Amino acid sequence: MITSYRIALVAGRELRAERRQPDGVVAAVTFIAVLVLLESLVVGPQIAHEADVAAALFWLALAFATILATMRSFDRELEDDALEGLVALPGGRDALFGGKVLSLAIVLLLVAGVGGILSIVLLDLRIALPVHLLVVVLLGVLALPPIVVVDVVLALRLRARAALVPILALPVLVPQLVAATRGTSAALQGDAVGALSWAGLLFAFAVVYTVIGLTIVPAAIE
Amino acid sequence: MRTVQSGASLHDATVVLDDRVILRAVNLVVGPGLTLVRGPNGSGKTTLLRALAGLVPLARGDRRASGDPLYIGHRPMLLRGLTARENLEFFVRFRGGDTRGIDGALRAWGVGEDMDRPVERLSAGERRRAALARVDTEKVAVILLDEPFADLDDAGANRLRQTIARLRDDGRAVVIATHAHRELDELAKAQIAIDDGAARAA
Amino acid sequence: MTETTIPRGNTLPRIRPWLGIAAAASFVVASVMALFWAPTDAVQGNVYRILYVHVPLAWLAYLAFVVVFLASVGWLWTKNPLFDAIAVASAEIGVLFTGLFLVAGSIWAKPTWGVWWTWEPRLVTTAIMFVMYVGYLLLRGLSTDFSRRATRAAVFGIIAVIDVPIVHLSVLWANSLHQLPTVLRAGGAPALDSSMLLTLMVSLGAYTLIYAYLMTSRISLELARQVRLWTT
Repeated sequence: MITSYRIALVAGRELRAERRQPDGVVAAVTFIAVLVLLESLVVGPQIAHEADVAAALFWLALAFATILATMRSFDRELEDDALEGLVALPGGRDALFGGKVLSLAIVLLLVAGVGGILSIVLLDLRIALPVHLLVVVLLGVLALPPIVVVDVVLALRLRARAALVPILALPVLVPQLVAATRGTSAALQGDAVGALSWAGLLFAFAVVYTVIGLTIVPAAIE
Repeated sequence: MRTVQSGASLHDATVVLDDRVILRAVNLVVGPGLTLVRGPNGSGKTTLLRALAGLVPLARGDRRASGDPLYIGHRPMLLRGLTARENLEFFVRFRGGDTRGIDGALRAWGVGEDMDRPVERLSAGERRRAALARVDTEKVAVILLDEPFADLDDAGANRLRQTIARLRDDGRAVVIATHAHRELDELAKAQIAIDDGAARAA
Repeated sequence: MTETTIPRGNTLPRIRPWLGIAAAASFVVASVMALFWAPTDAVQGNVYRILYVHVPLAWLAYLAFVVVFLASVGWLWTKNPLFDAIAVASAEIGVLFTGLFLVAGSIWAKPTWGVWWTWEPRLVTTAIMFVMYVGYLLLRGLSTDFSRRATRAAVFGIIAVIDVPIVHLSVLWANSLHQLPTVLRAGGAPALDSSMLLTLMVSLGAYTLIYAYLMTSRISLELARQVRLWTT
C-alpha cells in the first residue's frame, strides 16, 4: 500500500538523519544512563534491586527519554522548515505520524537496551524469564511513541513546549507505564502468565494509540 | 496531451492566522505560464502561495488545484543531517518518481560537488540551489516559489531565470512571489498585486 | 477545504435567568436535605453527609469531561465555533469540580478512615483526570490562533477522555494483581436507606443544574469573545 511505503520513507529519512546527526540518540541514551544511575543511588541499591522498583525506575527513565528523543526529532524538522517540505507533499501529513513513530521506536529500542543492561549490571538484577522480558520491553517501547508524537505535534509551535509536552503526555501514558512496569517485574520474578498478560495489554495500547494517531494527527499538523 | 488545464485557484478565500485576517476574499485563477505575485512585506504574499499550495486552512472560500503543487518557501525546507541528494531522493520517491535525474539536476544547479555533504555544511546559496533543483526532479504541473532569488548569486539567478522560462514554455503553471526582479515581467502572463491581504490583477 | 463558520452571537440569555433560579433553589433544597433532613448514619455519624457533595461532584467531573470529548469531536467534524466554546466551558467548570471532589474526598477520608488519601482506583483515576484537564487548559492558554487552538485542544481532549477508562482499568488491575490492601471502599457509601437515596438524587439534580447554569454563562462569554475576535 502506498501509505506504508511512504511511512517507511519517512522513517528511513529520520533514521538516516539521526545516524549523521546522532545528537538525539546520544542525548536519550546518556539521559537514561544518568537517570538509572541516579535513581538507583537516590533510592538506595538494596531497594532498587527489588524487581518492582527496578522496573519502575527503568520505565520512568525511558518515558522521559522518549519525550527527549521525540522533541529533538521535531526540533530538527523545524530547522529550515523541513517539516513544511514534507507536509507540502501529497500524503505528507498522513505519512508523518507513522514514520516518526516507527523511527522513534527503533531508536528507543537502542535506548532501552542501554538502560536495561545498565540496570541489570548496576543493580545485580536476576532475570527469571529473559524471553518474556524482551517481549515486554519490545511492546512497551512500541506503546510509548504514539502518544508522545501526538503531544509534540500539538505543542509544536507553542512556546514552553518543553514543559508542556511532559504534562500532556505523562498522564495519558499511565496505563502504558503501569503495564510495562508490572510486566517487567513479572518477567524478572518468573511470573510467566503475568508477564504475558501485561505484554498483551501493551500490544493493545500500541495498536489503539497508533490507530488513533494515524486518524487524528493529519488534521492537527500545522 | 493534458486534458485538464494545469493550474490552481482560490475562490473567495479568506485566511485568518493568529487572529489576524491575512487574506481577504481572494479570487485568483492560476493557469499555465508564469504568474507573478508582488506586494510589500507583510502584505500576504507568502500566505497566498501557501494557500494555493494547500498548506493553510481557509476560514472561508475554497481552493482547487490540478495535481499536487511543488511549493518551495522562504526557507529551503531540506532536512539537516541529510545530504542534498538524499533530501531530493526522498521527495522524488515520495511522489513515486524516478530518482535517476537527481544527480544531473543537482549538477546543473551547481551543487554537483557538494551533493553528498550534509546540507548544514552547505552555504545558504547552495542550499537554495539544491532546493530549487526540485523543480527539475519533481515533475508537477503547478510550481509555487516564494522569493526564490533569495541567497542566489548572479549565476544562480541566471539559472533560475532560464528555468522559469523553460517551465513556462513547457506549459506548467508557475507562481512566483517576489518584491523585485522586474525582468520577469516580460515572461509573465499575469501579475497580481497584493496589499494588506487584498489581491488584484496588476 | 472545510470552512470555519464565523461565529455569531448567541440566544442563550433568555433561558439563563430561569436556569439560575432553578439551580439556586434546588441547591438550597438539596443542602437543607443533606444537612438536616437526611438521617444520621449509624456507622459514620454526621461526617458521612459530605457524601451528598462528594458523589455529585464526581458525577459532574466525569460528565464535564465527556462533554469536552463530544464538543471536541463536534469541532473537528464541523468546525463550528460553538463546539469550541462548549469544550472550553466544560473543561473550566470540570477542572473546578474535579479539584473540589479531590479536596472533599480528603476532608471526608481523614476523620473517617484516618488517611488523607487512598490509592483506590477511582480516586487515582480522578486525580489523573484532573491533571489532564489542567494540561488541556494549559495547551489552550499557550495557543494564540483561534482555529489552531480549537483543533489542538480538540485532539488532546479526545485522546485524554478515551484514556480515562483505560487508566482506571490499568490501575484496577495493577492493584488487584498485587493484592494491595485497598484500605477501604473510599467513596463507597454506607448503605443508603430510602431518604438518603432521595437526598442523593436531589443533590445530583441540583449540581447538574448548577453545571448547566455555569455552562450557559461560560458559553455566552466565550461566544461574545469569539465575535469580538472576528470583527477586529
